[in-house]
Amino acid sequence: MTVLLEAERLCRNFGGLKAVNNVSFQVVEGEIFGLIGPNGAGKTTLFNLMTGLTPVSNGTLRYRGEYLTGLPPHRIAGKGIGRTFQNIRLFKGLSALENIKVSQHVNTNCGLFSGIFCTPASRAEEKMVDEKAWELLKLIGLADRATELAENFSYGDQRRLEIGRALALEPQVLLLDEPAAGMNSAEKHGLTEFIRGIREQFKLTVLLIEHHVPLVMNLCDRIAVLNFGELIAVGNPVDVQKNPAVIEAYLGAE
Amino acid sequence: MDDFLQNNGFLIVTMVQQALLAMSLYYPLMSGQLSLASPGFYALGGYVAAIIGTIEYFAPWRDALGWSIFPLEWLAAGIISGVLAVLVGIPALRLRGIYLALATIAFVEILRVICLNLEITGGAIGIFGVPQLFESRWSYIWTFGPLLILMLFFSYRIDRSRVGRAFKAIREDELAADAMGINPTRYKVLAFVIGAVLAGVVGAMSAPFLNTWNARQGTFDASIAYLAYVLIGGSRSMWGPLLGGTLLAALPEVLRPLKDSRLIINGVVLVFASIYMPQGIAGAVGRIRNFTVRKFGSARSEK
Amino acid sequence: MRDKFIPHLSSFFVWRRLSNMTTAEFIQNVLNGISIGSVYAIFALGYTLVFSILGIINFAHGAVFTLGAYFTYTLAVGQFGINGLLSGLNLDLQVPFAMALLIGAVLAGLVGVLLERLAFKPLRTRGADSLLALVSSLGVALVIVNAIQYLVGAEIYTFPSGVYGNIKPAMMFEVAGHTVVIRTVQVIIFAVCMVILTILGYVISFTRLGKALQAVAENTTTASLLGISVDRIILVTFFMSGFLGGLAGTLVGTSFGIAGPYFGVTYGLKGLAVIVLGGLGSIPGAVLGGIVIGLAEAFVPPDYSAYKEAVAFAFLFIVLLVRPQGLLGRSHIQKV
Repeated sequence: MTVLLEAERLCRNFGGLKAVNNVSFQVVEGEIFGLIGPNGAGKTTLFNLMTGLTPVSNGTLRYRGEYLTGLPPHRIAGKGIGRTFQNIRLFKGLSALENIKVSQHVNTNCGLFSGIFCTPASRAEEKMVDEKAWELLKLIGLADRATELAENFSYGDQRRLEIGRALALEPQVLLLDEPAAGMNSAEKHGLTEFIRGIREQFKLTVLLIEHHVPLVMNLCDRIAVLNFGELIAVGNPVDVQKNPAVIEAYLGAE
Repeated sequence: MDDFLQNNGFLIVTMVQQALLAMSLYYPLMSGQLSLASPGFYALGGYVAAIIGTIEYFAPWRDALGWSIFPLEWLAAGIISGVLAVLVGIPALRLRGIYLALATIAFVEILRVICLNLEITGGAIGIFGVPQLFESRWSYIWTFGPLLILMLFFSYRIDRSRVGRAFKAIREDELAADAMGINPTRYKVLAFVIGAVLAGVVGAMSAPFLNTWNARQGTFDASIAYLAYVLIGGSRSMWGPLLGGTLLAALPEVLRPLKDSRLIINGVVLVFASIYMPQGIAGAVGRIRNFTVRKFGSARSEK
Repeated sequence: MRDKFIPHLSSFFVWRRLSNMTTAEFIQNVLNGISIGSVYAIFALGYTLVFSILGIINFAHGAVFTLGAYFTYTLAVGQFGINGLLSGLNLDLQVPFAMALLIGAVLAGLVGVLLERLAFKPLRTRGADSLLALVSSLGVALVIVNAIQYLVGAEIYTFPSGVYGNIKPAMMFEVAGHTVVIRTVQVIIFAVCMVILTILGYVISFTRLGKALQAVAENTTTASLLGISVDRIILVTFFMSGFLGGLAGTLVGTSFGIAGPYFGVTYGLKGLAVIVLGGLGSIPGAVLGGIVIGLAEAFVPPDYSAYKEAVAFAFLFIVLLVRPQGLLGRSHIQKV
């Protein structure tokens, strides 16, 4: 069991608001780690801290022992941490295929001139990018709509495309921000299987923010509960479910 | 035909030249950056060519190199513009949207005032008697034409390459692109520099074409004119700046029978085009094509 | 640290200049700077009002400025030169200057309203890219500028010296053995600007209209839910913007003459520097920015006066790089 991600006394203040306050936890390689908590508990902020989109106010973040704190988002992505967004941030005006190709950026290195002059190396690379993009499109079940613009997809398809785009980074850690939001129960069930499947296939560690409790309990190996920016419980789903602080803060409120 | 070319040579070459300048704005726009700096680099490139072409210091070079001094001027203009673009671009491209536009307007104006006051740029009068590359105006198509074809080819290839995808991703959503491993600053500066180098080279080609060069070449009006070319042509496709640049550059000529009121009509065209063709001419053509394809089917199947 | 940078930089230049400047020169520069700065302020307010409501920059504002000057000239003087459609025409309306100034500004305000209806509203209702508003407003600017040229030619028009009535053109007084000159025009400009700023400040802070304006600037949707007619507020804003622009045009025109249909372009650009310096969308910021740039230009040493035109843009560039929200603007936190 290797510790992959480690947050230590992580803090983020927005003015006077402590959106994330003194949060420490560890994520172990290969697990599906759930992050739950009421609205405004700081879950998405925590994801933003981990991916560098929001600067950390205080505390440290380490990935395989290396500090992530202070790195810009693209460097963190380059280390193998991919993510999706709560409010879906696809490249709306690009096709599904292009959305996935974009994310292969970090694993390719063809420059401006090799691209313009179509050097053999760039042609080979482009072929690889293309093949892999189609592969991922098949995996998320959107291969038949590859050339459609991302903005024309339904909500659920957009969420899947976003996961596909994150997978194109070839990440070791995948951060999913409310992947089931807006899905019906059949889709949610499918999603559970899908996430398990990609974990096996790509040897992923998954961090997941989700409101839908049964899905989290069913899918996650361990769960952390946030409330008002503070971590109130970490453990396996059964234990967390019994934790009185959690029941009061979150489950009790339902 | 020959008469036609001789009489309209200046206009045709100008149309091509304006299309090229529109393209210099198109590259930053491809990565979502509204930069109006092109006239600055265009003016700079022209001064580089005019100075190399006229001052005493370069006389031995001109004698030794003959006509091949001209490509050297283009190269020098491209390099100087590129270096300046990196220096200006790195701090300026942290700005977004209208703020970047304003910073680039300031850049153009500062450069203009400096050129208006330096001795080497000929002050307010400018530089006269820039040596000609060709005898007739029309012949300049042999410099601007190939450059346009080259740039169209570049755009076509960039659009389908890794770098082009990075540009477009930043245009669509800079933050998401960053989270997908693309360094936004790097690619925004790259797009800005490509535009600047192009504008600089076009400037260097234009100084011999116009025979004279002065600070009126790089003004705010030109900034907005180029923006109009791209937006009215269509900013989402490389055909946009080509169409916008050539058509709008030709418009005052087409309206010549209207005499004094033609520039008024020119303004009216800008207003109407922005209201009724929000995707530009290229976008409107694309929509019509899509419509016909959907309605009547197409032999060519989409991949 | 950034906040301290700008005062340091400017105090450095001020120190260098002051070290070899007589008291009289200093006072003269301050007076010149405040006078022209107050015009920059009211002109820039026209930009900022529209920006705060619609989030766009009206590139036709410089043309409205020009138009205001021509309106006033037509009313107060009405003699045209040898070019254009109206060449040789002598209207001889002899409208008193104060009245002509006001009517000219009102007419410019109405042009502002027209501008909104023709160039901005159609784009807004289509939800078009806000970049297109730059092009369409520039189109209107082209129409205005060339229409002026078509009608009255590109020549310079100046207001006769007695246009204000029977007042001495300048006052002089001595400071430590040197003469300081205050032109009457400068006093009038400053006084008019102060009156306008006071009225505008009152309207925005204390009236229903001003409250509605602030609400629309804050959030259009919420404002319309509160029963405010956003469309009406936008019209009023464009009227005020045009009024301020036209007024500023007349004031500059009386001071330096109307240098042809294009004379608003430079001011149009300087106005951009002013609003960015003060903070885009900030009303007090536009006033402060106008005065700062007016003063900075006034203090450019005579040896470098050719570079005076670049001062505003140097400010614009530096402010954007160091403090993009401007002196009094709010910084925005981007929501992920």
